[in-house]
Amino acid sequence: MSAGSIGTGRRMAGARVAVEYMKRYGIVTAFFALCIVLSLVSDYFLSVGNIVNVLRQTSINGVLAIGMTFVILTRGIDLSVGSVAALAGIVATSFATRSTIAGIPGAPYPALLAIAVGLLVGLASGGVSGGIVTRFRVPPFVVTLGMLSIARGLTLLYAGGRPIPDLTPQFRWIGTSEVFGVPLPILVLAVVFAVAWWVLGYTRFGRQVYATGGNPRAATSSGINVSRVRLLVYLISGGLAGLAGIMLAARTGSGLTQAGISYELDAIAAVVIGGTSLSGGVGGVTGTLFGALIIGVMNNGLDLLGVDSNYQQIFKGLMIVGAVMLDSARRGEAH
Amino acid sequence: MSFRKACLAGTAALLATIGAAHADPAKKLKIGVDLYGLKAEFMQLWAASVKQSPEVKSGNVEVTVFDGRYDSLVQQNQFDTMISQKYDAIIFAPIDADAAAAAVEAAHKAGIPVIGTNTRANSPLLTSYVGSDDTRSGYLEAKAVLDKIGCKGNVVIIEGPIGISAQIQRREGNLKALKECPTVKVLAMKTANWSRAEAQTLMDDWLTRYPGRINGIIGQNDEMALGAIEAIKSANLKVTSFAIAGIDGITDALLAVKAGEMTSILQDANAQAQGSMDVAVRQVDGASFKPQSDIWQQYPQMKWDDGTAKNYNVPWTPVTPQNVDELLARRQKGI
Amino acid sequence: MTSGTGRIVPDRTVRNRTKIALGRRDPVSSALLDVLGLTKSFDGVVALADGRFRLEAGTVHALCGGNGAGKSTFLSIVMGIQPRDSGTIAVAGKPVAFTHPSQALAAGIAIIEQELSPVLDLTVAENIFLGREPVAAFGRIDFAAMRRDAERLLRQLGFAIDPGAVMRTLSIGQMQLVEIAKALSHDAQIIIMDEPTSALGETEVGQLYAAVKRLRDAGKGIVYVSHRLTEILELADHYTVFRDGRYVSSGRVAEIDRAGLIGMIVGRALSEEYVKTNVPGEAIRLAVDGLSLPGTLSDISFTVRAGEIVGFYGLLGAGRTELMECLFGLQRGWTGRMTVDSVPVRAASPRAAMDAGLALVTEDRKQSGLVLTSSVRENLSLAMLPALSPRGVMDRKREAGAAVEAIRRFGIRTATDRLAVGSLSGGNQQKVVIGRFDMTTPKVFLFDEPTFFFYVWAKSEIYSIMSEFASKGGAVVMVSGEAEEILGMCDRIVVMRQGRVAAILERGQADQQTMLHLAA
Repeated sequence: MSAGSIGTGRRMAGARVAVEYMKRYGIVTAFFALCIVLSLVSDYFLSVGNIVNVLRQTSINGVLAIGMTFVILTRGIDLSVGSVAALAGIVATSFATRSTIAGIPGAPYPALLAIAVGLLVGLASGGVSGGIVTRFRVPPFVVTLGMLSIARGLTLLYAGGRPIPDLTPQFRWIGTSEVFGVPLPILVLAVVFAVAWWVLGYTRFGRQVYATGGNPRAATSSGINVSRVRLLVYLISGGLAGLAGIMLAARTGSGLTQAGISYELDAIAAVVIGGTSLSGGVGGVTGTLFGALIIGVMNNGLDLLGVDSNYQQIFKGLMIVGAVMLDSARRGEAH
Repeated sequence: MSFRKACLAGTAALLATIGAAHADPAKKLKIGVDLYGLKAEFMQLWAASVKQSPEVKSGNVEVTVFDGRYDSLVQQNQFDTMISQKYDAIIFAPIDADAAAAAVEAAHKAGIPVIGTNTRANSPLLTSYVGSDDTRSGYLEAKAVLDKIGCKGNVVIIEGPIGISAQIQRREGNLKALKECPTVKVLAMKTANWSRAEAQTLMDDWLTRYPGRINGIIGQNDEMALGAIEAIKSANLKVTSFAIAGIDGITDALLAVKAGEMTSILQDANAQAQGSMDVAVRQVDGASFKPQSDIWQQYPQMKWDDGTAKNYNVPWTPVTPQNVDELLARRQKGI
Repeated sequence: MTSGTGRIVPDRTVRNRTKIALGRRDPVSSALLDVLGLTKSFDGVVALADGRFRLEAGTVHALCGGNGAGKSTFLSIVMGIQPRDSGTIAVAGKPVAFTHPSQALAAGIAIIEQELSPVLDLTVAENIFLGREPVAAFGRIDFAAMRRDAERLLRQLGFAIDPGAVMRTLSIGQMQLVEIAKALSHDAQIIIMDEPTSALGETEVGQLYAAVKRLRDAGKGIVYVSHRLTEILELADHYTVFRDGRYVSSGRVAEIDRAGLIGMIVGRALSEEYVKTNVPGEAIRLAVDGLSLPGTLSDISFTVRAGEIVGFYGLLGAGRTELMECLFGLQRGWTGRMTVDSVPVRAASPRAAMDAGLALVTEDRKQSGLVLTSSVRENLSLAMLPALSPRGVMDRKREAGAAVEAIRRFGIRTATDRLAVGSLSGGNQQKVVIGRFDMTTPKVFLFDEPTFFFYVWAKSEIYSIMSEFASKGGAVVMVSGEAEEILGMCDRIVVMRQGRVAAILERGQADQQTMLHLAA
């Protein structure tokens, strides 16, 4: 008997409508509410320049969070993305620096090669995490927590713990250039989002991701190779962490050993605020994009108004808890 | 309460707290201060001092302090915000010298002068630098330790976060002093990430591993030197039988100097803050501007030079039993 | 749970003296529980229009009704989980309005839920007295007393379970008995049992029946909810039938037969429970020879012909589910031979098994069958993804077409195929799983407990699907723990015992007695 979860009368009916509304449009409503409020109190907020700023500032977290969405949809988690971004960034910059500090003979190499190397580093890290998760059945939380530490250690070892300066203009172009007035990092985010949205909604692999997260046993008995799906989502997350690391290095103009510390938390926050369930199978990258935008707008708005950054942390925390409460409320409905 | 209501309520609460910041849109100079992070006492002192500048107190300058949260990317984003808000000048203490170059470049392009302070950005576009030479402080503190142990014996070095500018330069200074005492052996050299707690753990381990062999402890900041002192105390050893030094001159360190437990090299946050404010206002107001802070009298060896010099070297003050009481008295005034 | 509640066990703890036993004050004249005109709506939808129920002391009273009949709503109002819109509830002649299950418990009403909630790493005794452990000096838990009390309780109930055993080491059926013992340890006068036999094997069912009869003889009133009509006819003294949220009728079980009861529950006469139209052919479709799985199955051989339905009967743990998993590539490491249409098959994965023409509807549709968070359409297409996505991109038109076709073919009752599959009734959920695998056009269809937990007419729908599949030349394997449906549907019956084939019986030569004897 499932009587415990049946609603109690009309009051609950109203709440159910609210929950349903929040599930569909909550994130968008929250985003626009925040934008309206900020545009009322700051003359700068709605300027084109500032909107570009917000988008550019969101691009790196957005890319990480999209990768994270794939992992969380399969009931996993990837805590290593910040460290993997740093590792990919430092390795990529070592191929794109004019200084001899990194000790890569023949550097600088063409930017495309440096980018390829950075992406490979990200993919390899994701592959190792995914391989251990699927092959040895270690919980993803543990595996990627280990990878968080390992990748940071490798970053520090690489190039002897020094940042890598003096990157070639071609490499920095990724972080600084504009295409038709739109900064390249924003375009990168747009492309990553579009591809991820298409993959999740329109391809076989997308279906397999949702099924794996929704019910791995049902997916298995329907002929889906669940291990393969899991491995692939960690590869995607790792690869996108690599990409984010390259963007970060190109934007700050150097490969930093301390880059990306605790970025995984903002990425997870964006996914959760965006309505993807930590229990898997529910959600998607559209929510994640808005989740990342909300975090970006909040950071920007508070900087714009010169507010103590601690308020932003509190607000972000409230949003995360609120989003998960919403998810639980919805789960209660489903049973 | 619905999630949306919660969001709005949160936003409203936020606005209430920031209303004051935007009360007066009169024609003031807008100067942004971007500090690498506000967690430690030194930067807190720095931020307090800049708000005590004569220009700010007289109401001619509106100053906004940004918390860089120890992340190059965050600082870069804050630069974007300041540029789009058309700040008149920026005072900049970057977390990373190389990564800072990109931010300085962006401000320069927008015609905003950037005055470096505390940590130097590796960029020729920096308008001016008002700070203290970290290589020098690294040298001074190591020298103090070596003098006390008579240029013989063994030392350990507790480093800052590997890869950031202050750590790199202070290590350079440490090693320069050590070269002058070739028989002194460095038993170990490891990071404690500026943290008192991490340094204490590190020192616990070293005391176990090198029993009776450590003569000197070089901490690259005061926090870590103080952590080492705690470790020595909890191992029931005599603090005075070690030569210990740190950098910054934070309050606890001054007290420890007074107790005869360590040496500290005071970095004058007040002089850096008010000096850089004078130089920044000079850049905007032109040649008619006269410096207003009394720090120029306090350090006659630091010449005003019409406010256009590339480099203002704020001298380090070794804290001694002779001057410690006076320094502590000044600290009482909050600067 | 209130600590003031006592238990059956006459132990030494002080708490017993404070027990409330309402039913005892007024032994015969008034009913233990008397409910009249109970109503309840959700969002304007009526869930219960007229709930009536009268429970006498010393009787077992069956509450019957299909899905949506209002049983769950009725019980949750009585237990104080939900408020009522109108109506009266009287316990031992006194009107009550509980707002929390603990109040119901304090008033002497205990419920045994069908879902298990044991703490697996505690002992049986610790589970029974969870939250109200006997305390000795200084707040120390008196484990010895607890164990003694548990042992006495279990012995009184006639359950053969060691109170010191760790819960995890018990079978599901034994765990269910412990849960029942736990509910009975409160000294309740009214005991509600909601599908108590759903997880029990035959032996445990016997123990439960004995316990129920003992409780009845001790003057308790038992509300017995079950979808198994056989149980009701065997165990209950009275019945009350709900349909579409309304009280339909009530009476003495002795004065009614199976068909009559079904008629009242369904609202029409059910012509035939077992729809069987298939006729076995000659060609052998599935042949299994000497299949063994270390530690679980040994030397299993059987054949299934075209058009034939073969039933697998056995107790829990006989290895029936594991056998299906071996055939379908969900278990590795088995030995032996298997052919489909004389072609050797060695499925290493479900995908390979499907390619060889096999399909498996797994035992528990919520655990391993459905992706509850996805829509009906996405669930239907799950096994067909490769075919529906040439070069990896979903052909959404073809997918929608296939889903609509499956919904039509199997009569799945859903507003649209975009609805979350979790919102469908159990029978329709099962048809979604069957529809999913039917799309793969299998030659051999394996069904593991396909009607588990269904009411008769929902069962009939599944039976007719199986029967139709077989009459078109397919081979059907049906695993079930219900002897009746095996006897009703199957052409041949494989009885399994402890991982081995105990016997293979022809339709007509088998009966319930023989099957039980062979299986135990």
